[in-house]
Amino acid sequence: MYRLSKLRFGFPVFLFLALFLDGAVSQVFNVQMFRYPTAMVSHLVVLWLVCGAIFEADNGDFPMPLARWAAVAGAVFDLYYTGIFGIYVFIFPLVIYVTRRLVSWINPNFLSGLLIYFIDITLVEGLGYVASRAVHLNNAAGSAFLVNTLGPTLALNLAMFVILYFPIRWVYNWLK
Amino acid sequence: MQKFSLNRRLVIIIVCVIVSFALMTVSVTIRNKKSTPPLVQQFGNDIVGLVDRVVAIPTNGLSGSVSSVSELLNTYQENQQLKKQVSELAQTKVRDQTLAKENKQLKKEISLNSSLTDYTAVSAAVITRTPSSWQNQVVINKGSSAGVTKNMPVMSGSGLVGRVAEVNKTNSKVELITDNNDTANRFAVSITTKSGKTVNGVLSGYNSTTGQITMDNITTKAKIAKGDKVVTSGLGGVTPKGLYVGQVAKATGSDYGLSTKLYITPATDLSDLNIVTVAVSKQ
Repeated sequence: MYRLSKLRFGFPVFLFLALFLDGAVSQVFNVQMFRYPTAMVSHLVVLWLVCGAIFEADNGDFPMPLARWAAVAGAVFDLYYTGIFGIYVFIFPLVIYVTRRLVSWINPNFLSGLLIYFIDITLVEGLGYVASRAVHLNNAAGSAFLVNTLGPTLALNLAMFVILYFPIRWVYNWLK
Repeated sequence: MQKFSLNRRLVIIIVCVIVSFALMTVSVTIRNKKSTPPLVQQFGNDIVGLVDRVVAIPTNGLSGSVSSVSELLNTYQENQQLKKQVSELAQTKVRDQTLAKENKQLKKEISLNSSLTDYTAVSAAVITRTPSSWQNQVVINKGSSAGVTKNMPVMSGSGLVGRVAEVNKTNSKVELITDNNDTANRFAVSITTKSGKTVNGVLSGYNSTTGQITMDNITTKAKIAKGDKVVTSGLGGVTPKGLYVGQVAKATGSDYGLSTKLYITPATDLSDLNIVTVAVSKQ
């Protein structure tokens, strides 16, 4: 089924669109999002991937190579945005894996999706913090990370999830 | 995935973590030591940069039109203030031209071809910003084909905003001075005090709560006052002399009371960058 659908080409197109929109949104709403010392980080690409895993579980006959595309998106993120290879190329597939495990336990809908996305964003930001701390890219204390980065980022991304969940579901149904 | 035993999964996780750390270490080392990234990475970044422009140019254009509407509202007041400044500026510009000419003649007389103050400005547009809270980094649309090389200073508006951290053929990454990472290359700056003494030093970091740049380990006896101007000194590297960094906001003793610590208010708004200028020095 996957081979024959529009999804095969549509999925990567929207994946890269989300990836580039992350950078564009950070640039355009720079003043609002990076008000020092707090920082809100947009993770639209994670939203697209997690929604893929949620809607994939909704209709079981539609397995997608999500983890592979997540690794590709992570590689582009590392090389183009951060310049440090080896962080998000592992974190994005891990997010897909975790989401698939959670989805197999919890019946996914809008509200439980919100919960799953909460866990995923915490995972992305937490592991990103640990990795950048390990290579001395930042020297923020753990408590400062929780207050200044994780809190605002979760707020922004959960709001994005609420706004974009139904449009993204529509896009997936259209591509199928 | 379901059929893997716990043991096998553990091995996979450990291998992934080790590979991840190895890759990170290698890329950080390359970033610090080499002047350009490996060819494959450069090529990939160039292609991604081209594709990104398809997304970035419409969104940046959209935000430009929105902000121009909001700017229209206080045009009248701004116009009056600017008129005053323009008349002063014309005077300064003419004097600047005369001095530059005189300077050139004098240099010729002592057969000095180029000094630390010479540079050409390459202006570039900001394509995108790294969506990460650990790296204050933007991607600009000029690369090595426009003469940009690693560690060159980048300015916006009236002051210094950062340095080039990675150069590809058609785009490059700029690390802003708000970035506090350990490997960042610090700028050598100097301050001319009211009494005419020159104080040299190195910028040491950025205080994110107050939004000020810090400058540490100054052991001079010269009295540095609030409002003294900080400019790059041109010592040790590709940074030309005389780029404006900011004004001294506060001078205090350091944590141990042995040296002076300065807080500098940056000359430009570091969070709102659209067009930047790379100072390409002639070497």
